[in-house]
Amino acid sequence: MKLRGTAAAALASAGILLAGWQTGTQVNGISTVASSTTATGTTGATGPGPSGTGSSGTGASGSTGSAGASGSSSSSGSSGSSKSSASGTYKGSTVQTRFGPVQVQITVANGKITDVTALQLTNSDGKSMQISNRAAPLLRSKVLAAQSANVQTVSGATITSDAYLTSLQAALDAANL
Amino acid sequence: MGAKAQVGLSPIHSRDIASPRIFRCMNTQLLPASPAASSSGRPELSPGKRPPRGWFAGQYRQRMLRTDLLTVIAWASVAAAIALWLADGGATNITSPASLFTAAGIVAGLAGMDLVLLMLLLAARIPFIDRTIGHDRALEFHGKLGKPSVYLLLAHGLLLVIGYGMAEGLDPVSEAVNLWVQVPDMWLAFVSMALFIAVVVTSLVAVRRRFPYEFWYVVHLLTYAAVATSIPHQFSVGGLFAAGTWQRWYWLAICIYTGSALVYFRILEPVLATARHQLTVSRVEAVAPGVVNIVMRGRKLDQLAGTGGRFFIWRFLAPGMWWHPHPFSLSAEPVFNGPDGQGTLRVTVRNLGSGSAQLLRLRKGTKVALEGPYGLLSTAARTKNKVVMIGAGIGITPLRALLETTPFAPGEATVLLRGRTEQELYLGSEILDLCQSRGVRLFHLTGPRAHGHSAWLPEDSVRNGYSLTSYVPDIRDADVYVCGPAAWAANVIADAGKAGVPGEQIHHERFDW
Repeated sequence: MKLRGTAAAALASAGILLAGWQTGTQVNGISTVASSTTATGTTGATGPGPSGTGSSGTGASGSTGSAGASGSSSSSGSSGSSKSSASGTYKGSTVQTRFGPVQVQITVANGKITDVTALQLTNSDGKSMQISNRAAPLLRSKVLAAQSANVQTVSGATITSDAYLTSLQAALDAANL
Repeated sequence: MGAKAQVGLSPIHSRDIASPRIFRCMNTQLLPASPAASSSGRPELSPGKRPPRGWFAGQYRQRMLRTDLLTVIAWASVAAAIALWLADGGATNITSPASLFTAAGIVAGLAGMDLVLLMLLLAARIPFIDRTIGHDRALEFHGKLGKPSVYLLLAHGLLLVIGYGMAEGLDPVSEAVNLWVQVPDMWLAFVSMALFIAVVVTSLVAVRRRFPYEFWYVVHLLTYAAVATSIPHQFSVGGLFAAGTWQRWYWLAICIYTGSALVYFRILEPVLATARHQLTVSRVEAVAPGVVNIVMRGRKLDQLAGTGGRFFIWRFLAPGMWWHPHPFSLSAEPVFNGPDGQGTLRVTVRNLGSGSAQLLRLRKGTKVALEGPYGLLSTAARTKNKVVMIGAGIGITPLRALLETTPFAPGEATVLLRGRTEQELYLGSEILDLCQSRGVRLFHLTGPRAHGHSAWLPEDSVRNGYSLTSYVPDIRDADVYVCGPAAWAANVIADAGKAGVPGEQIHHERFDW
């Protein structure tokens, strides 16, 4: 009798786990597609791509404290040659947070930030994605209004905001803004 | 039908045993039922209307089916907690060692939270669980889940600190400090963890050292604080309730159900029952030195009929006593003497501790709050047509009430009462009357206890070579109800097992929780 209950319970649990796994791989496939389309959509709007590929951006990430250790950022964009009228897209450094990596890209036209795109946002779990989805548009509009990384963090998304602004600062440095 | 119920005992017993006195209860004529028996509650439980053959076996099969269902639900809930996390794409984020640690930490937290909720459900006195596995086994499982859940919660914290730390390039200690300082509500989660550990450790120590019930109770109240402080971080940091996830609905449902079950079954239902029955102490009468009958007057007592053997938690609402809960069974069926189920209830109490000493001096008119009935030491546990009841000391009294109502044919029941002296066979004369009117074999087993094996029997019986099967030869085919002190009862149960009684036919309720 006890065996019957245990066997039934084990079977049911295995089935539930399998169903969860199956759904998970499918759902995640969809969600990555969705997030990547938004990313490409905005970058697509940048039009003329960067002319040269300077690797000077990495130096800027030294200011990010712990994130500096990673140093994996490759800010692409012309730097140095034409300081005053920097145009194009610049990637910020990748900032590692406990909830996942964060990296932003800015689009600059005539020395002004015209767009900010999040290439990577905290995504380690459902809650982090939810926070990211809420914080990213707010941060973008704040940055566009302030034209700098000197904006307030979004409450309830402190970690994401800090990482976002750190990466942004690296991108701004790369763009010499 | 009782006319032919000649209940024979093998001759050796009646002649040879000096100390175990045997009452041959023959039902040679249809006796007028005693007042208590005739007014005993629901008709299907009254002795006159026995269920057809095989009915108890069917009842047992149903109960086992419900047990299996509960097992499946418990396991499946843990599986579901993890499966829903998987369904929300949890595993696909594992791309690095850091995220592996983080994912393992999240899974440990989900499983731990699920176990904590299962523990709360097991302690919520949900009638379905109580009817299926009984109050004491529910609490036994509750206790067994304590250690695993605290280990899972500890693993949750440690793995996440390591995983988060690796992602940020920090050692686990400074990561923990960072979490406390930076992440909102996280310090509450640390407090919660400390409370959980405190509760489980003190519970385990309390079980071993036998701390007073009140200490145990207060420690357990901390559990609610532990759960309450763990909830904020589940909303603000954890993914349990994140919008747009599958998990959200599962966790909302199980949390709301657990919360309302606790509030309803542990607070609201007792308050309603107390208001419904309006019990007051009507008299306290001495039964034996240190043992009293507490008789309470109330209404709608018909709803409490047929609960013999199950226990209620009583609180006598007098200064200095109201906070002390007493688990007692009824020692007789309710007696009705008015319309709308008006009548009296009776419990028989022995002075066992400071709390019950006060009961001997209860004043007439004291209001009484009650919760229950709980437990499975009742007709609901029956699996066979034959019944054996073995009681010692004050443990005799719940069997007295059960004997009054549980259905059996004359000659199919045996009662064994154990005490050092005749005076310690509390309610012995009432039980004798019941045995006579229902056709039950009754043995009084008195004298100093035996040493070595079968220590539950009197020394004389063992010396004369008598064992459980000498008194009840057909015990393998009967339900055995055991009620008495824990060590004594364990002895009886061991002997019953040796006599070939399957475990599911042995019914015993621990009252010392």
